[in-house]
Amino acid sequence: MKKRTGKGYIINTAVIAVIIVAFAFIKSAFGGNEQFRLIIVPSLWQCCYLIILAASLNLILGFLGQLSLGHCGFMAIGAYAAALISLAFQRAGVFTEKAGPAFVLVLIGCILAAGILAALVGLLVGIPALRLKGDYLAIITLGFGMIIVNIINNIPFAGQEGLSLGSASASLYKNGLGFGTASKVTYLWVALIVTLICLTMMFMFIRSKYGRAIKAIRDDEIAASASGINTSYYKIFTFTFSAFFAGIAGALYACANATLSTSSFAFTNGGILNSTFIVVMVVLGGMGSLTGSVVSAIVMFFVNYQIKNGLWVKSLPGFLGGIFAYPMLVYAIILIAVIMFRPRGIFGTYEFSLLNFVRDIKEHRAKKALQKAGNKEAKSND
Amino acid sequence: MSTFIQTLIVGLRLGSIYALVALGYTMVYGIIRLINFAHGDFIMVGGYTMIFTIPLALAMGLPAWTSVVFAILCCALVGMTTELVAYRPIRKKGTSMTALITAIAVSMLLENLAQAIPAIGPNPVVASQIFSTGGFSIAGVTMEWTTVSTIVISAVVMVVLYQFTQKTKLGRAMRCVSEDKEASILMGINVNRTIVLTFAIGSGLSAVAALMYMAQYPKVYTTMGMMLGLKAFVAAVLGGIGIIPGAMLGGLIIGLVESFTTSYVSSSMADTFVFLILIIVLIIKPAGILGKNVGEKV
Amino acid sequence: MKKKLACLLLAACMCLSLAACGGSGSAASATPAASDAAETPAAGGEITIGTISPNTGSLAAYGSAVTTAVDLAVEEINAAGGINGSQVKIVNADDQFDPTECLNAFNSLVSQGIGLIIGSVTSGCTSAITDAANEEQVCLLTPSATADSITTVDDYVFRACYADSFQGAIAAAYAKQSGYTEVGVVYCAADTYSKGLYDSFNTACEKYGVTVKAVESTASLDVQDYTNQFASMVKAGVEFVYAPYYYDVIGPYIVTQARAAGYKGIIMGADGYDSTPDYVVDGADLSVFNDVYWTNHYDPADTSDKVQSFVKAYEAKFGATPNAISALAYDAVYMYKQAIEKAASTDATAVRDALADTSAVYTGVTGTFSLDASGTPTKGASIISFTSEGTTVTTKLVDVVKELPQA
Repeated sequence: MKKRTGKGYIINTAVIAVIIVAFAFIKSAFGGNEQFRLIIVPSLWQCCYLIILAASLNLILGFLGQLSLGHCGFMAIGAYAAALISLAFQRAGVFTEKAGPAFVLVLIGCILAAGILAALVGLLVGIPALRLKGDYLAIITLGFGMIIVNIINNIPFAGQEGLSLGSASASLYKNGLGFGTASKVTYLWVALIVTLICLTMMFMFIRSKYGRAIKAIRDDEIAASASGINTSYYKIFTFTFSAFFAGIAGALYACANATLSTSSFAFTNGGILNSTFIVVMVVLGGMGSLTGSVVSAIVMFFVNYQIKNGLWVKSLPGFLGGIFAYPMLVYAIILIAVIMFRPRGIFGTYEFSLLNFVRDIKEHRAKKALQKAGNKEAKSND
Repeated sequence: MSTFIQTLIVGLRLGSIYALVALGYTMVYGIIRLINFAHGDFIMVGGYTMIFTIPLALAMGLPAWTSVVFAILCCALVGMTTELVAYRPIRKKGTSMTALITAIAVSMLLENLAQAIPAIGPNPVVASQIFSTGGFSIAGVTMEWTTVSTIVISAVVMVVLYQFTQKTKLGRAMRCVSEDKEASILMGINVNRTIVLTFAIGSGLSAVAALMYMAQYPKVYTTMGMMLGLKAFVAAVLGGIGIIPGAMLGGLIIGLVESFTTSYVSSSMADTFVFLILIIVLIIKPAGILGKNVGEKV
Repeated sequence: MKKKLACLLLAACMCLSLAACGGSGSAASATPAASDAAETPAAGGEITIGTISPNTGSLAAYGSAVTTAVDLAVEEINAAGGINGSQVKIVNADDQFDPTECLNAFNSLVSQGIGLIIGSVTSGCTSAITDAANEEQVCLLTPSATADSITTVDDYVFRACYADSFQGAIAAAYAKQSGYTEVGVVYCAADTYSKGLYDSFNTACEKYGVTVKAVESTASLDVQDYTNQFASMVKAGVEFVYAPYYYDVIGPYIVTQARAAGYKGIIMGADGYDSTPDYVVDGADLSVFNDVYWTNHYDPADTSDKVQSFVKAYEAKFGATPNAISALAYDAVYMYKQAIEKAASTDATAVRDALADTSAVYTGVTGTFSLDASGTPTKGASIISFTSEGTTVTTKLVDVVKELPQA
């Protein structure tokens, strides 16, 4: 077993290294390309924060088995915290332009601070989670999400008057961590590495003692506490841990958009970034599968992007084109169908792992070979 | 003093609408332990049905409010269809979590389906006057008849519902199913039929709520059920979900809190206080004000 | 095992489809790349203008107002021989009233080689793309984003409407002119538009020596009851209340409830009040709408030829009276036409220079105006009132304010 883990680390590190080298190559080769700059890089940024957000919600929804309907509230805290802190640093003269080691340090600091602040609020939300569960907890988290948005709206230096209005958003772009098209390309590595680290941490979390404990709580809370698991501690810990990543996703959102408006973090809105739709993403991907959340976030983003901006969609004839004019309708139908036929989501609890992937392919080949041999034998027996 | 009375009246009329909506939530929750997120959207369905049938009623020489009959039928139909097509198959194999997510999906579906229907579309519409205006005045503040009738109707509906669940055969079957499904099958209760009928009644109630809502606040739009449904749901939870008088109590509390916060504390922070009250009550009394804490069976 | 493989296969398909995203995008760019060649358009060429509007989502009504008016203007221009002999083509993108989607839509248009864009409709969305427009050197002309900070000197962003600071100040000046020294405000704390107008009204009140005595707000645009807010106004004794909201709140809720709460004074609003008469309660006593005033970009009942020909053409084509946003979008297309003709080029920088020329005079439906150094029109606002005898609400032009009075 030990040996296998070591092997896993080696394979994963190697693959990641190869991907990074390949990516650096792509960047140098296509850096000046319009499509790369304007479409692929902004899309990657958006995928990054959606992935982190969906995966972090999955910790609560899929692994702890509690429904949280206010996850975007944590994201809002992260986004506003990162934006305001970066503006404060600029005013203090720590950095003057979006380059150099000072800025990178501030950027990383902001991302971390966003996560920590969100985690503190997550701790606060986790406390009612001790006494409540299921539907009641869902409504509490919903309430927290609403309160967070309502309070941010009323804070004079944030909310509507501070960061979403043009002047301040321009200042976030000029003086803060809001990225334009060019800096999005320059700092793409930050988004990718942050996402990678977050995902790794979450994977490690669910495979650790903590992960096994919360899965036990999900499956049977009474049995779990009877076998000595401190359920209160693990529940609060999961909420805090999950909120931390939602905060980081918020910081990336602030970087990628350079405009903040609380309507983006609401319970629902017309788009795909809101507390309800993140739940939809997690459920579609699979409750209890981080792989599922990652894939689902990417696919939902891609589908939504194509429906909004894909040229092929505009050329669709009558009826089909009519359906695509209401993408949310399509998503709702898909969601109902998935729940009916695969109640635990498309990926269920499957986790992708390179090591297993290699092993599975080998096994599959061996099986096939065996089958072939079996067939031959059967034939020769005839 | 007049400010106080004014605030009280506003609170009562908001609260009684929340209470009417909350009754529907509570009915359904009581029997299948499902937060029917789509309930708010049933109100939207009722609202649009009335928008389309009010001219019809007027043409037949009937008062505008009679169109609520069509709305009740339409809502009950939508409610039963939702139960048969979406909730029942999922209840059979999924957990309570998947059922809840289905409810969210149905809510999304109804809202966006309404937007996609050309006759409805994304623009709001304004209903015509349903009840005659006017009222009586207390301490210089006018209490409109519409407000009075909303309060009276929600109280009557509550009493009737309560009596219905206590005294009639179907009502007793409902309580029986909510207590123990397997045992009620053994008692010869047709569980599925009881659930469908509960949905029909709960959704029909949402049409009545839609009527009172439109009489007071005459704007109808596809996402109207969202905030209204959420607040009403909060009311139901606050009072103790599944308990009929609890819905009434919770609705009035939420309405009054909202109104008094607006008048006396901060008008832009009303939402914060509504949800804060909910959180505090639930932390102190996890089953709601009138709810009983039931220990878990091991 | 099979299940796992199926899942993997699915994942692989999804990754491939992501890769195809880039692929389909670059295939798309191949066609409009021709626009580089068309920078100095020869007769018979094609000029592509991009539009960004909220076609879906909660402000879909504004999206259709823009797209219909732009279609009308383009049809007229093409029928009259196009711009410099080239036909105009419109590529529309949806922003869902969401800043992120707006930026995506913008990037998608730019990657198709489009250098002239009309959009977006709301201040919130537009401010998400102004920086990108400057960075990409793409000309952005917004029909209706009124937030002050949208346009700055030396940039690629222009607009067809006046700014919030002007609109709020006009209301303040009107209060002063009508003899009110104490006023109240009811606004929505969660809406950029409402909040922005409140701020500018507040500043202008200080300037004109008008006291803002009572301020009340609402937590969201979903609020239905405004009785308490107006009861506070009555309590404060003000007789002029500035309430910057949209038509769908004014018509069914605010005016009726304010009167029921005993408020009898003036209610003043801004361009969001446009199309309120379509959103009033039939059969209710509509005389409550008397004494409601608002500022607008144009008056559809204006008898000038320009306005009437636009209103008639729009009504003939779409069967509805155009609102102010339609009028502004229509003007925006003609502003581009004039600028392209002046620059004799469709190159974004050349058109930008033509638009930045403050001496150019545009004659549009919303008035005759030129742009100031920042790119905002210097034009008057119409002050309009509602009048009602109880059964219907009609609008009446009260005054046209060309420029702000001195303090």
